[in-house]
Amino acid sequence: MNGLSRQLNVIDYSLSSLWRRRFKSISVMVVFAAVIFLLASFQMTTKALTQAASRLLVMAPEITIQKMRAGRQEPIPVAYQKQLAGIFGIRRITPRVWGYYFNETHAANLTVIGVDPRLMPLGEKLASAIDTGRLPGDHEVVLGQGAEELLGGNRIISLFRPDLSLKPLTVVGRFRPATDLLTYDTLFLPPDDARDLFLLPPELATDLCVTVANPSEVDTIAKKIAALLPGTRVLTRGQIEKTYHAVFGWRSGFASVCLLTALTSFIIFAWDKASGLTPEERREIGILKIVGWQTADVILLRFWEGVIVALLSFVAGYTLAYVHVAFFDAGLFRPIMLGWSVLHPRLRLSPGVELSDVLLVLCLTVVPYLAATVVPAWRAAIIRADSALN
Amino acid sequence: MTALIELANVDKTYNQGQVNEVKALKGINLEIEAGSVVCLQGSSGSGKSTLLSIIGCVFPPTSGRAAIAGKQLSRLPDRFLTLHRRASIGFIFQRFNLLPELTVQDNITLPLMPLGVGPRERKERAARLMERLGIGHRAGFPARQISGGELQRVAIARALINDPPIILADEPTAHLDHALSLTFMEIMRELHRDGKTIILTSHDQLITGHPAVERLIGLSDGMLHVP
Amino acid sequence: MFLNPWSVALCLLSLVVLILLGIASRTAVKVLRHWNPASDSNRQISLENETWLSSTLVQYALGFQLFSLVLFVLAADNFSHVISGAMCAVGSLTANRYGMPALWLKLAGAFLYGLWLVVHHFDISSERYPLLKFKYAALLGLMPLLGADIACQTLYLAGLKPDIITSCCAVVFGEGEGKGGNLMASLPENRTLALFYGLAAVLAVLGHFLFRRRRPSLMWLSGGLWAVFVGLSLAAITSVFSSYVYAMPYHHCPFCLLKPEYGYIGFLIYGALLPAGFFGISAALASLVPAASGLSAVVDRFQRRAVLISCLLLVVFVISVSYHLVLYRLSGGEG
Repeated sequence: MNGLSRQLNVIDYSLSSLWRRRFKSISVMVVFAAVIFLLASFQMTTKALTQAASRLLVMAPEITIQKMRAGRQEPIPVAYQKQLAGIFGIRRITPRVWGYYFNETHAANLTVIGVDPRLMPLGEKLASAIDTGRLPGDHEVVLGQGAEELLGGNRIISLFRPDLSLKPLTVVGRFRPATDLLTYDTLFLPPDDARDLFLLPPELATDLCVTVANPSEVDTIAKKIAALLPGTRVLTRGQIEKTYHAVFGWRSGFASVCLLTALTSFIIFAWDKASGLTPEERREIGILKIVGWQTADVILLRFWEGVIVALLSFVAGYTLAYVHVAFFDAGLFRPIMLGWSVLHPRLRLSPGVELSDVLLVLCLTVVPYLAATVVPAWRAAIIRADSALN
Repeated sequence: MTALIELANVDKTYNQGQVNEVKALKGINLEIEAGSVVCLQGSSGSGKSTLLSIIGCVFPPTSGRAAIAGKQLSRLPDRFLTLHRRASIGFIFQRFNLLPELTVQDNITLPLMPLGVGPRERKERAARLMERLGIGHRAGFPARQISGGELQRVAIARALINDPPIILADEPTAHLDHALSLTFMEIMRELHRDGKTIILTSHDQLITGHPAVERLIGLSDGMLHVP
Repeated sequence: MFLNPWSVALCLLSLVVLILLGIASRTAVKVLRHWNPASDSNRQISLENETWLSSTLVQYALGFQLFSLVLFVLAADNFSHVISGAMCAVGSLTANRYGMPALWLKLAGAFLYGLWLVVHHFDISSERYPLLKFKYAALLGLMPLLGADIACQTLYLAGLKPDIITSCCAVVFGEGEGKGGNLMASLPENRTLALFYGLAAVLAVLGHFLFRRRRPSLMWLSGGLWAVFVGLSLAAITSVFSSYVYAMPYHHCPFCLLKPEYGYIGFLIYGALLPAGFFGISAALASLVPAASGLSAVVDRFQRRAVLISCLLLVVFVISVSYHLVLYRLSGGEG
């Protein structure tokens, strides 16, 4: 395998050559790693947020019906259920009363969810999510970890209604820490108590959740519902998920375009570094050529130098981005990426890295770099062998 | 026996067809037998380097026939010149042309890298040569740290690493003192005994008059003459 | 839908390949007009230097093209999260009429750039560069293909409409989630498998003979069979093998194999099949090099190697693609 050992020899030489010019190599690598860090952080943040959203949506009902008026959502009459009774394939319709409760002392939003656990498709699962205690009965509440900390761990809590009268509730349980993603800031209580808290008349709910027997019929049933109930918005879980993906994808794409300017300036920098040959470098190439290196060997040398620089920068930039997103919650970008009200406020980002994500960032960074160094590499490689004679 | 190096009517013109056209060699006819030691004499600008480059397969002649070690060079593409050069020619340069940051061993094995010779064999071949030239203890030193005499031996070792039949030395003693120049010629004499063909350029009396040199060739204004 | 990181990456990649091959074709034009091996002029010297550049550029272009091929499929899979009615890459690629053509053009591009490099390899093996003019004319011929590739990809991306919940009350639904889509009608399983393994065996036997002696007629036969085999394999992967990998009888998708859920086995399968097909076919095409060019020894060495490589990759391919099927049938599947 003569060709293989030639490659290995050239790689060997390119490593020593990079080391001999370590100042130049490291300066390129630092800048490159920074560009990769920015792009990869953005990519991972988007991905983690999208994934978190999908995970939240697993618990969401297959179809949600919201009432719309003048383009805004408003409470939906529970009686709408009856109109849907004729649709074949609906397993159950559950009215939901939910909203946010603003806790002024801590300036924090809590999520209040009022659903009858017996009517929920995942009711049994909910019971198993409770760490201590039981499902709430009338005037009782189950708290998420964060909500409990915030409300001080009392047996009885009092919340303000919109008219500032007090609503007392008995705490009968706490959700497991493992379900934090979904329950961290939640107050879970019976729908009537939730209506009482929000001063909502008993005939209204926030939205209606529809459970469907056969998942492949979701779209057909949603269409029928939309036809039966004009003035409502019918959302399917799949559609909500695609919206998340599209919106986050759009943001990430927009960011990529912005970051391409950073990449462009780096490419110009790299081109400049690669084409500006010092007299020592010219002399070195002349020597290599006259002792029998082909032009192709010198191009190969430059290629491997480029690949090594790019891969080292990539590993450094990508690892830093991972640390940034996973351990520092993407501190640099979160303000831009969040702002999707349904999302959990204390979301812990856990970017799952797949090969395709790595390839994407690789393509956006390493490919332009390698392409930008071809022509300079060739210019260097055609330095004539006889330049070593004089 | 045919000559190892045969040049017939060789011309070399730089920048052909342009205003700055230079005729560096004009109608050179030269034959050099295998195993001889030849010295080219000539002032700078006489075409000495150009002639050495053609013999050394660095570039082909513009016209005429040139056959080096059995290979017809006329209008040979650069790629094949290089292939032939690395098989047949060892170069020793005026300023040695070593890479100062590389170790002695790495400098010597530089020609073996693109041939795909593995690290172990490279090391063995370099060690044999360094031993023979008395620089074995310097193998791991960067070239910038060793003395002039040792540098010269490193340069010789690099020229020999591929065991080429022809050794070309361009003004090899120009930067050496008397004693080192003498040692250099002694090494050349030894290589001559091994059967190498050696072509030197020099105007140093010490070389032109050295008993090892069998033939002197003068060059001026791109043409040969007997000095 | 250009404002998506995958679209940005694909466009960037195409732009890079376009620039590289653009520079290479500049050299091609110059070489075709001015190449004169008898001359020692500066122009000829710089042209000789530029031939190094052009071959390097095509090598890079080939590398990036392969990258683009993989990225295109991965991007399509990613788009399926955004496009209504798309379950996986098949759904996104068939979301408009430019998706599949773009994929085929990319594949054709990779094949032809590879072929060009084979021709280049032959050409520079002779001191006379006998295929030089052909090689550079062919390089110019690759440009329209690249143009078509980029045009299809751009139209494809432009035609993708992400599915966003609108704030009006009416719901816009896609054509329904049923369109997880099959690329093709399913083939009769047992007959397809018999044909597949039979052809693979024939190719292996032919390879065995050709490795020892390269008879032109057998060479062409083998090349032709390889072309058929690649087509058949793609169909068999889609229609038969993939559902065994997914363990889902109605999921016939050639692309999901590339996903981590299935251990990235698709990279192994296609990474063996496509190069095997390339070498199998190009070994036969190499016979087209005219004997007068004095390259017969080089061509023969290439054919010998290409036959060997294609046969080794064939083994890797057959094993990797059959693995799940064999496992299923051995573990008491209904066979």
